[in-house]
Amino acid sequence: MNGFFSETIWLIPLYSLIGMSLSALWSPAIINRTGPRPAGYVNILLTTIAFFHSIFAFAETWQKAPVYQSVTWLQAAGLQITFDWEVSSLTICALILITGLNLVASIYAVGYLEMDWGWARFFALMGFFQGGMTTLVICNSLFFSYVVLEILTLGTYLLIGYWFNQSLVVTGARDAFLTKRVGDLFLLMAVVALLPLAGSWNYNDLANWAQTAHIDPTLATLLCLALIAGPLGKCAQFPLHLWLDEAMEGPMPATIIRNSLVVCTGAWVLIKLEPVFKLSPFACQFMIVIGALTAIGASLIAIAQIDIKRSLSYTASAYMGLVFIAVGTQQSQTTLLFLLSYAIAMALLVMSIGNVVLNSITQDLSQYGGLFSRRPITAFAYLVGAVSLVGVPPFGGFWTMAQMSSNLWEDHPILVGVLLLVNGLTSFSIIREFCLVFGGKSKPMTVRSPEGLWPLILPMTFVMGISLHLPLILSKFNILPWWDTLNINLAIALIISTVIGAGSSAFIYLNESISKPIVLKPKFVQDLFAYDLYTPQIYKVTIVGVVAIISNAIYWFDKYLIDGAVNLVGLLTIISGQSLKYNTSGQTQYYFLSILLGVALFVGIICLPLITPLF
Amino acid sequence: MATALILLPTIGAIIISLYPQENQLKTLTAIISALSLIWSLYLLKIFNLSDPTFQFTEYLSWAEPLGLSYSLGIDGLSLPLLILNSLLTIIAIYSIGEKIERQRFYYALILLINAGIAGALMASNLLLFVIFYEIELIPFYLMIAIWGGEKRGYASIKFLLYTALSGILVLAAFLGIAFLSGNGNFDYDAINTSSLSAQTKLILLTLLLVGFGIKVPLVPLHTWLPDTYVEASPAVTILLGGILAKLGTYGLIRFGFGLFPDTWALISPGLAIIGTISVLYGALAAIAQKDIKRMVAYSSIGHMGYILVAVAAGTELSLLGAVAQMISHGLILALLFHLVGIIERKAGTRDLDVLNGLMNPVRGLPLTSALLIGAGMASAGIPGLVGFIAEFIVFQGSFEAFPIPTLLCIISSGLTAVYFVILLNRTCFGKLDNKLAYYPKVLLSEKLPAFALVAIIFYLGIQPNLLTRWIEPTTNKMVAQITQTYSEIALK
Repeated sequence: MNGFFSETIWLIPLYSLIGMSLSALWSPAIINRTGPRPAGYVNILLTTIAFFHSIFAFAETWQKAPVYQSVTWLQAAGLQITFDWEVSSLTICALILITGLNLVASIYAVGYLEMDWGWARFFALMGFFQGGMTTLVICNSLFFSYVVLEILTLGTYLLIGYWFNQSLVVTGARDAFLTKRVGDLFLLMAVVALLPLAGSWNYNDLANWAQTAHIDPTLATLLCLALIAGPLGKCAQFPLHLWLDEAMEGPMPATIIRNSLVVCTGAWVLIKLEPVFKLSPFACQFMIVIGALTAIGASLIAIAQIDIKRSLSYTASAYMGLVFIAVGTQQSQTTLLFLLSYAIAMALLVMSIGNVVLNSITQDLSQYGGLFSRRPITAFAYLVGAVSLVGVPPFGGFWTMAQMSSNLWEDHPILVGVLLLVNGLTSFSIIREFCLVFGGKSKPMTVRSPEGLWPLILPMTFVMGISLHLPLILSKFNILPWWDTLNINLAIALIISTVIGAGSSAFIYLNESISKPIVLKPKFVQDLFAYDLYTPQIYKVTIVGVVAIISNAIYWFDKYLIDGAVNLVGLLTIISGQSLKYNTSGQTQYYFLSILLGVALFVGIICLPLITPLF
Repeated sequence: MATALILLPTIGAIIISLYPQENQLKTLTAIISALSLIWSLYLLKIFNLSDPTFQFTEYLSWAEPLGLSYSLGIDGLSLPLLILNSLLTIIAIYSIGEKIERQRFYYALILLINAGIAGALMASNLLLFVIFYEIELIPFYLMIAIWGGEKRGYASIKFLLYTALSGILVLAAFLGIAFLSGNGNFDYDAINTSSLSAQTKLILLTLLLVGFGIKVPLVPLHTWLPDTYVEASPAVTILLGGILAKLGTYGLIRFGFGLFPDTWALISPGLAIIGTISVLYGALAAIAQKDIKRMVAYSSIGHMGYILVAVAAGTELSLLGAVAQMISHGLILALLFHLVGIIERKAGTRDLDVLNGLMNPVRGLPLTSALLIGAGMASAGIPGLVGFIAEFIVFQGSFEAFPIPTLLCIISSGLTAVYFVILLNRTCFGKLDNKLAYYPKVLLSEKLPAFALVAIIFYLGIQPNLLTRWIEPTTNKMVAQITQTYSEIALK
């Protein structure tokens, strides 16, 4: 490695943090003089610098071996924590994706939050997120991965809580923070427990260690499960999935980043840890089962939602479920490609939907219709996003999913079924949204709905272009899975599943003679999915209820028993003192009697050894 | 050198009580305590890192027949706490509202507290320690009883009784140590408990544990704490929770762990359990609170529990973590109480059900809210802030000795997040009532202490070496001595 840009790769997170600090200055001090906008421009400038820095660094590292570097962060009492980082074309590619999408989302935010007063806070948090994600990508140590994930949990809380005076936003922010924190704490337990066993947190060392380690299988399983728990929360997998749905109360430009990149942070850590999971076959199975359940469950829930953003958020959960399956079956290379194509397609879908939501004011799918003629660019962007997400050749999603199914076919044919099912259901769900929003006749909410401002359209079309070109870009770098490595029959099955899903959806939702909304019989099945499998209620009666009961019980115990006992002692002292004061009666006889009694008692005690033999 | 840290505030207190100009008292007090902060920072600068024993020692024989001598010394255990003491004194001076009654008396008492705590931390004679430890009570009692809230009478008496009992137990244990081991000398380096029988050591150590356990406090000796913290004014609470409570853990490390190594090892599993119970108890009780000050008070019980778990584990790393946690908790708790004090003064309430939407940039207290979020997150152990690194060192150090208690402590740090999210959601987030929200402005003099604390919390979170390097030599030495004792016992 002998290039300026790749040697100074650590500057990229720094740019974002500088951007964050500069933006924060506008909150709320300078705002009175300049208005909120410069905060955004400063941040966009620094994001641009970070983006180009990563591109130049990529040119330097392409087809070169990864370089590992480290600095000591803390050395105390035998504990050495080093910040290790990896400079390779893979990490820099991820940096380009993160900074690029962040740049696009920031420009989008200029249009989307045009009238908002909280720019400084928003852009500072965008910078914060970018700093966190870029650090996560370059760092090569489990400890710092944990640190970043935990910091991003705080970032999620603040970013979802952006419009904090709405009650749904506040609960959404709370739930996101606590759900992710649960996952993070399990990860922390694993981080703490791993050091005495493996002696290092460096991913390369961990991989070497895992190959030769002989540890108790139960311990290995517990360890791996705890390691999985962190990404489980980040990737919004069952049963920690609810936060992503509630997070949709946050502003749309943040949703672009969250649905496309933030959920992938968990997947990234999971991929890094893949060699460690070989210690425990049970943990791998667990990952596959959770992934499969989430993939199918979340894509069904997505179909039952009437809120556009929530529907997309469940699609994100479903795709992360596929990532869990892929990592559980040791396909990290395919997973990385899958994440790349997913992130771009999802960003495009969210941008297009945001575009519609902004000036149609509603997020309710049943109030939409007939927007295709009014907003052709947005509609095309949505379609491109859709075909890049699901299996439609020659777009990005097709190749990665085809390769994933080819890899799975030998050992896990059932999972290929899951993959095809999820692909079909997702096709159904996103085409359903397309038809409900853009197809059919105009409704009152969509009559006056022109295309948005250029800051909205320009980034969207840019991402659309990238999404269309993705297969070409990949083949240019020779990393596109090509026909000779794919199982042709499975590829065809994938296409068929897309066609069935999308076709049936289009048939149902474009057909005026079928009355809407579609009600599934029996009704309780539809309700089950429409209400997120009743997860909020389940949380309420289980974990939330238990913690509330225990804490109230402890407080009661503290207030009445412990403190009560203390006050009782005090009370007894006072009462005894108060009653003893009546001794002081002033009668000489009484004093004489007490002296006599005292002397008798004293003599009795002294003579006790002499008296006892008598009995 | 060391005496200056006691002398400076004591003389300052005398000057304050005689100084004619009423309106300059606050500045004058601040200047005096700033001088003592600068002096302690100077000591930090010339502190020799390669020497783990007492430095800047002073010796003056005082009442020799009693075994009492005026001997001071500073090592890696007391140095960071001394700096914390001087720092929090300045913070406390500025966390009082604009106007207080009888301010001359008030400021003099704050300086006396500073002197007393510095004395206790530097004493290297057991009796001298007890003298300073007990002297502390008087100014604290007065400050709670005179400037406290509605139920201040009850709270101050409760505080006085509890802590006086703590002092008596500690004194009894010290007398036992000196007289039973035969030489009647109370100097730290002259004490050797190895000649005592196992039962005697156990009894003496139990006395110390209960005595210091009240001060820390450990569950179930804690009931003085919530009442006192809630009734005392923010300045007193900062000093009480930020530094006075640390004398309890300091005592546990210095005298419990340091003087009775083998007995300590014997009972350490039990101590780890008591610590874990304190941690869980404090966190869970905090969740049920409706008063933000009481919530922070219970959270303090939880955070002090980590220290006991770490000291019980007794590894180099965990002992380092224990001291780091003392500092980090002192800083974070002071910030929390300072901000809660501002909110109470401006919004007029501490009730979670009444407070709402303080983040509002126009009518609310946006900056205070932002700082409160930072403080809450630091306390909940979010990385990048000093709370995380201290807790992490504690966890990593204790894990091998006590895996289950450590995991329970980690779970409890999740519960910490629960009550802080409740606190932040109710106070900072939400909708501000436009009809009621006419809050006075937060003054610069109120913001500055918070900025200073946030900066330190943040800086030590990014650069933890700066915190650990002073502590490490001493804690390493203490653990090495103990391992030596173990191996001697094993040889016998």
